[in-house]
Amino acid sequence: MALALCSVAVNADDGGASGGKETAAKETAAKQAQGSTALYQVKDGNKVDPQTLMGWKTWRALACERCHGAEQEGLVGPSLVQSLKVLSKEEFHSTIMNGRPDKGMPPFNTSEMVNKNWEGLYAYLKGRSDGQIQPGRLSPIE
Amino acid sequence: MKRLHGFVLVFAAAGIASATSATATDLEQAMAKPSNWAAQAGDYANHRYSDLKQITASNVGQLQVAWTLSTGVLRGHEGSPLVIGDTMYVHSPFPNNVFAVNLKDQSFKWKYEPKQDASVVPVMCCDTVNRGLAFGDGKILLQQADTTLVALDANSGKVVWSVKNGDPKIGETNTNAPHVFKDVVITGISGGEFGVRGRLIAYDIKTGKKLWQAFSTGPDKEMLIDPAKTMTWTNGKMAAVGADSSIKTWKGDQWKLGGGTTWGWYAYDPKLNLVYYGTGNPGTWNPSQRPGDNKWSMTLMARDLNTGMAKWVYQMTPHDEWDYDGVNENLLVDINFKGKQVPAVVHFDRNGFGYTLNRDTGELLVAEKYDPTVNWASKVDMKTGRPIVDKKYSPATTGPDVNVKDICPAALGSKDQQPASYDRKSGLILVPTNHVCMTYEPFQVEYTAGQPYVGATLTMYPTPGSHGGMGNFIAWDPAAGKIAWSKPERFSVWSGALTTAGDIAFYGTLEGYVKAVNTKDGKELWKFKTPSGIIGNVFTYEYDGKQYVGVYSGIGGWAGIGMAAGLTESTEGLGAVGGYKDLAKYTTLGGSLFVFSLPSRSGSSNVTAQAE
Repeated sequence: MALALCSVAVNADDGGASGGKETAAKETAAKQAQGSTALYQVKDGNKVDPQTLMGWKTWRALACERCHGAEQEGLVGPSLVQSLKVLSKEEFHSTIMNGRPDKGMPPFNTSEMVNKNWEGLYAYLKGRSDGQIQPGRLSPIE
Repeated sequence: MKRLHGFVLVFAAAGIASATSATATDLEQAMAKPSNWAAQAGDYANHRYSDLKQITASNVGQLQVAWTLSTGVLRGHEGSPLVIGDTMYVHSPFPNNVFAVNLKDQSFKWKYEPKQDASVVPVMCCDTVNRGLAFGDGKILLQQADTTLVALDANSGKVVWSVKNGDPKIGETNTNAPHVFKDVVITGISGGEFGVRGRLIAYDIKTGKKLWQAFSTGPDKEMLIDPAKTMTWTNGKMAAVGADSSIKTWKGDQWKLGGGTTWGWYAYDPKLNLVYYGTGNPGTWNPSQRPGDNKWSMTLMARDLNTGMAKWVYQMTPHDEWDYDGVNENLLVDINFKGKQVPAVVHFDRNGFGYTLNRDTGELLVAEKYDPTVNWASKVDMKTGRPIVDKKYSPATTGPDVNVKDICPAALGSKDQQPASYDRKSGLILVPTNHVCMTYEPFQVEYTAGQPYVGATLTMYPTPGSHGGMGNFIAWDPAAGKIAWSKPERFSVWSGALTTAGDIAFYGTLEGYVKAVNTKDGKELWKFKTPSGIIGNVFTYEYDGKQYVGVYSGIGGWAGIGMAAGLTESTEGLGAVGGYKDLAKYTTLGGSLFVFSLPSRSGSSNVTAQAE
């Protein structure tokens, strides 16, 4: 059938417009990336570390774009570019596992892929939110 | 409708239990009156044609709003209301409210507002359309999103019976309209993107007792296939499908997640006692993961109404690589084919081919492109009945993680659920179509119950090198397999068509226009801008001597997600000129019913009476 139908996106916000904040975020992420505890590593905007790569693959496999948009900009679900600026890692974890049924977000705690890779998914979305990782297809850092 | 006694005897002698009586049911009596719109298609045959002719090609330009109604829900509004006598039955998307409206003063006779668990909504991710109600045996049938089928007393709105035909926890939901044929209610299942196993289910309209269930994939017994008697087009003639015709075409037990969902518009031929419907895409959009023809997904089925047994089957798209569901409606028309009268079934598939088959025998007669830009297959081999796939546009050939570009049509097909209409006067079929192409990148996925089981990333955009729009409204000659005329539209025409004896065809657009065109040449005669995009089906009825035309205005459906894709894919360099993203300039969410009629002249009742 139809991959259905995220209702209308006519009024979906374009999540990309964060202007000057984005530059600051980029610097922060760049600093993080240099440190040993970097959340994610990224080169040329589309080559990432293995954990983040699995995070992107999890995003893709669970078809998250159906509600959150192909570039995480939000459709019937909220923009994750925005949400990841305020959501803590713990809050992210509990949201993806338990969902927000009242708002239409399903729980993903039965998915093996999510259980295995949720931290990579968090890293990927953080990288998207920081403006460090480009939308679309990713490949491993050589 | 009248059946010869001889036939009745033959059936009885053959031992075919027939629950159907020779007399017309209340639904059949209601459908016989053109003043009613008693079934979603107006009839059993999916014609969407009305004998009413107060509104004609010459006066349709004067059409104006008679009255409107808000459903109170701002989601995609597919399907149409029903009209029986002095009552209109209106439905809404989730939570699937039903209103019985008194046509005399538009007051509500009753309302039915079901309480459904909201957790079903994300499994429908994300639009919550419902394609409408059915009428029969004094009842209004509602197929709720949560897979509950409810029979309401048409007079009081009280629940007469209610059954569950699926499990949302494993991704099973419903968007289809239930269909009443004789004393049987037929319904299906959605969830092709969640690895569900499609099936058609029949219930006794009196009691809600399940009569039969026919799966789209799996063992013959569960599919109600007789290996020796169920026929299919084989090397230029009909032949029995043989044992395990489905299971042999799947790896291991993948047929259990096989898809083949059944959310379209069904049709029924009372003379042959056959029900016609199509099955959807096979489970996972990554074709490399499921080798084989994946039968009987993507298949047109003809089944006996009483037993559910398949008389014949025809698979349009073996081993799907594009999400070209075979669920689109089947129009039952009698045509002159090469000098012979043939009882035919006409089907405009998502894959871009318009098929004509003999609806009695299942023989393939015509398979031609109804959009000349379709490129995934060069043609259908009329001997084998199989498409000749172009390897350049074949994600199964290039394999996972390769992005295949410029496949036409896109996954939403040259046409999706938006039903066509058969103009009984001209013999033409008026078809609302999409004119959209795509990139398609499949990837490996694992199945988890209740989680999406998709496995492909897509982008969609207007057909390159064409008129720049994303749709056409076309007239099709089903015997010749040719486009008679084609009217370009800026966006996909996602609304169901209506033809009338007034020589006009109606349809709606995603910008929110409802339009009337001349059936013979497509010339636009009238249009009216409703507040929201139209994905509902135009219908007509007569009340108190006056003809009305109506349609829901409320954008959504898959076209909604297409818009979203248009919004974000400009980075791909495909450009979005004329793309869905432009919709934001024209429309916003809505949820209303618009009803139109010709203006009343002064002292109208007298004048009208004389004019009649």
